[in-house]
Amino acid sequence: MFLQNFKVESPNVFYGQDHIESQYDYNTTEVVVSEGTAKAVPKSQTFYFKTKTRVPKLGLLLVGWGGNNGSTVTGGIIANREGISWRTKKGVQEPNYFGSITQSSTIRLGTCKGEDVYVPLKSLLPMVNPNDIEIGGWDINSADLASAMKRAQVFDYDLQRQLEPYMSKLKPMPSIYYEDFIAANQADRADNVIPGKDKKKHLEHIRSDIRKFKEEKKVDKVIVLWTANTERFAEVMAGVNDTAENLLKSIEESHPEIAPSTIFAVASILEGCAFINGSPQNTFVPGCIELAVEKKVFIGGDDFKSGQTKYKSMLVDYLVSSGLKPLSIASYNHLGNNDGKNLSSQRQFRSKEISKSNVVDDMVASNDILFKPGEHPDHIVVIKYVPAVGDSKRALDEYTSEIFMGGQNVIVSHNTCEDSLLAAPLIIDLVLMTELAQRIEYRTGTMTEYTCFHPVLSLLSFMLKAPMVPDGTPVVNALFKQKACIDNILRACLGLPPENDMRLEHKLHPGCLDKAFIDTEIQSVKRKGDSCNEQEHSELRV
Amino acid sequence: MTDNDAWRALSHHNISTVTRKKNCKVSGSHVSYLENEVRSSLKLQRTLVQTLPDGSLQATPKELLYEFCTKLKPSKLGIMQVGWGGNNGSTVTAGIVANREGICWETCKGMEEPNLFGSLSQHGTLRLGITSDGTDVFVPFKSLLPLVEPKDIVLGGWDISSYNLAEAMDRAQILEPDLKRKLRPLLESMKPLPGIFDEEFIAKNQLPRADNVIQTKNKAQQVEIIRQDIRKFKQQHMLDFVVVIWTANSERYSVELSGVNDTAENLLNAISSNHKEVSPSTLYAVASILEGCPYVNGSPQNTLVPGCIQLAEENQVFIVGDDFKSGQTKMKSVLVDYLVGSGMKVESMVTYNHLGNNDMFQLTDGEMWKPKSAAKSRVIEDIVGSNGTLYKEDEMPDHVVVVRYVSSYGDSKSDVSEYVTRTFMNCPYRTVMYNNCLDSALCAPLIIDLAIFIELFHRVSYRTSDMKAFAPMHPVLSALSFYMKIPRTPVGEPHVNALQRQRACIENLFRALVGLNGEDNLFLETKFPYISE
Repeated sequence: MFLQNFKVESPNVFYGQDHIESQYDYNTTEVVVSEGTAKAVPKSQTFYFKTKTRVPKLGLLLVGWGGNNGSTVTGGIIANREGISWRTKKGVQEPNYFGSITQSSTIRLGTCKGEDVYVPLKSLLPMVNPNDIEIGGWDINSADLASAMKRAQVFDYDLQRQLEPYMSKLKPMPSIYYEDFIAANQADRADNVIPGKDKKKHLEHIRSDIRKFKEEKKVDKVIVLWTANTERFAEVMAGVNDTAENLLKSIEESHPEIAPSTIFAVASILEGCAFINGSPQNTFVPGCIELAVEKKVFIGGDDFKSGQTKYKSMLVDYLVSSGLKPLSIASYNHLGNNDGKNLSSQRQFRSKEISKSNVVDDMVASNDILFKPGEHPDHIVVIKYVPAVGDSKRALDEYTSEIFMGGQNVIVSHNTCEDSLLAAPLIIDLVLMTELAQRIEYRTGTMTEYTCFHPVLSLLSFMLKAPMVPDGTPVVNALFKQKACIDNILRACLGLPPENDMRLEHKLHPGCLDKAFIDTEIQSVKRKGDSCNEQEHSELRV
Repeated sequence: MTDNDAWRALSHHNISTVTRKKNCKVSGSHVSYLENEVRSSLKLQRTLVQTLPDGSLQATPKELLYEFCTKLKPSKLGIMQVGWGGNNGSTVTAGIVANREGICWETCKGMEEPNLFGSLSQHGTLRLGITSDGTDVFVPFKSLLPLVEPKDIVLGGWDISSYNLAEAMDRAQILEPDLKRKLRPLLESMKPLPGIFDEEFIAKNQLPRADNVIQTKNKAQQVEIIRQDIRKFKQQHMLDFVVVIWTANSERYSVELSGVNDTAENLLNAISSNHKEVSPSTLYAVASILEGCPYVNGSPQNTLVPGCIQLAEENQVFIVGDDFKSGQTKMKSVLVDYLVGSGMKVESMVTYNHLGNNDMFQLTDGEMWKPKSAAKSRVIEDIVGSNGTLYKEDEMPDHVVVVRYVSSYGDSKSDVSEYVTRTFMNCPYRTVMYNNCLDSALCAPLIIDLAIFIELFHRVSYRTSDMKAFAPMHPVLSALSFYMKIPRTPVGEPHVNALQRQRACIENLFRALVGLNGEDNLFLETKFPYISE
């Protein structure tokens, strides 16, 4: 069964005029290891969530707006908003948001008379409608968005034709170009750059761009997202970019190791706008993270997980969790868009290689039966630039796994997709989830005031290749775990228990069913009575 | 019942037959079998093309009368492999010994028998002709002309690693344990001679293997030692003919310098003066040539520098190069030929390989990779260049070749390739292919074929109507291009990479030697039937 809308009726949730409050028992298991044995202790903590329900008018500023991702996400939103359908050789195609988990995925809400009920993810909590997003951005190339769309060769001609009048009016603002950071082969595109070499002035320029955009479009908040070229890694140096203070000082001094992306990130943070890094370079140097934490501004990164890595983080998880031992992963990619061209330069490719290669580490480390400590599957990643295939990216992968008694299992996969059509819905999801996270506050039983999420927004891991997490948090790359994290956080905000897939109700003997459930109900009522005091409960209901 | 069986049950036609008879004899006026030799004479045609002043082309058929003389008795053949203890070397040796001794082995699927699948000389056939009732007759190559039997080949060689062949076979991880168990006593006594080691030319990561090297660093002495090794090997096994085959590591390119390796004389001088740009492989080649032994370069480096080629020509010794065409490149030279030959435009070819043997381990060094990369990328030049209606001048498909080292694969090579082709109205046609095979199992039969065919061509001499005496074939043996990634050809002969054309060359050469015309696939007699009135 599929429903569009629902309301939770529970003592744990309260729908206010402009917010939803929920109470949620978070159960974890603490493991105490002593002398070779481990003791598992279940723990429970009560969380209170408060989600603002008023959806703001949202502005999105893209760095690299005229790139394939930028023009595709812009064209896609316009086509959806204006309801533009187009002819293909297979007939008329309607616009949609396929590939976006907020717009096109559902989650199981519960059961209705034994039947599962699914609802759209976006129906759990009020979210911005992507059609309402105001888009703007910067690009080092002056092409307007209609020309950029044409150059991208992603949309069908008939769609391009209809989008052109809307897109030709959109023109990217001049961007920051430091040739040391991107491949030399990009130089001929750079005809729309902010003049001068003074990084402090560049920072001010970007800040005023953000303010102007906010005023002109009358948006309540702005999110800035990097979807431009992969830069080379910036060197992390003590005294330069290791602390927030040093970083700001280095920008003042126009230090050569400050990347354009870091200037954009700092400008956004200082303007109180969340910044998301969709490329693999280390935009978020330690000083930049510290600045975001100080200013309590969300940052998310790194590198969109759209194609091969997404697939890999699903497949390896499947293999290892099935008790199979991946021996080697050979991943070959080729593509012919400008991203591929930029990556054909060694220093930029290095950034990509690093973000792609760590993706299986957590899954391998999770199984000591298969892998000795320090043992890893052989893993190679190759990306080649092949102009003839354009934006249509190919991923040819071979996975060899050792199975029972030394047997071998070889899996070969071939993926083809327009790179930008994979990335565009991720951009929308990243922005929508970030905006939503900005409206959620929480407190635990011991805290007196509500507070927001940690500025390093690990909630976005599902969409990112090398997810950034707050210090001391384990990195999770396994795709289904990442999705479960999003699902269950949204459920928690509504006071719903996490999806545990146990389906105990179907596993019990019919005769015991009623009794079992009556018992649980009584127990849970008892537990509530013990653990939370009545006063808080009634406050919650007001 | 498979589809094949069903078809056979319905069919009444005898489409073709393969004779396993040992010999077939050609009769006719232009072939004569003498006691020790077979002589044939044949008018061979070629078409000369001229551009006329008005820009049109004129094609003129030219005829030349050739007489061929082929000695019938195969020599007692020895193969000396450089890199004998490598995966190729040990696999060739194990294969020949197992075939000779008739060693069968147990596998999970039951008993396996030894064979030489993959070898054209042993398992290749060619269409001989047609019977009066319309049945095509195919015969093995070796039934037209006597060839050396693989079981009679004596093996020897050099290696920088001291492993004996049984140990080398174990290290290669190619053959089944039961076969290895049975072969071990026969291979243990085979020990490679010390090899020339010059760390300048191979990757640093090979150092730990180098425990069996010729002590002197003097290149002239090294050549002398190799020459002695060849002579001793010949004597010891009472061999008439030895072929030296390089199946060792890929070396880096040696720089071609004038005054150093540009002429035979300079090359010999450079060796005497211990010049550092003379690679170990060139030393082996020079030693072989001076001993009158043909030399095959199975790796991509430029062993055959101009001076070396000149030396071979002066001494009339066969040389064949470069780089065995065994796997992906072989497949590519079939597929691209097929696509372009069908009038389709190949736009991009992206080929990825990974493997985990020592050859690949050493290719992880960038300098060593350069020759390999060049060898692999040139393979389609002639095919693309052959079709000016699809490709503008100098237009080439995007072509990417990646080879990576993945240790867990061992000798097993994976090859994943994608071809994007434009067909009618520019519609895309995509081919994705996955090949997996043991690298050395593909290569071993090529090594055996090369030695056997070289021995045959060594018995062949020819003369045209203008020549008085019979002469041997050109020392640069382009007839064996079929086996090579970048075939060496005599000056003036265009490179042919298309596999079917290369095979047709060997086939038609065999036919010519016994006075048969080239295979033309015309079947004129049925298309234009002869009707008597």
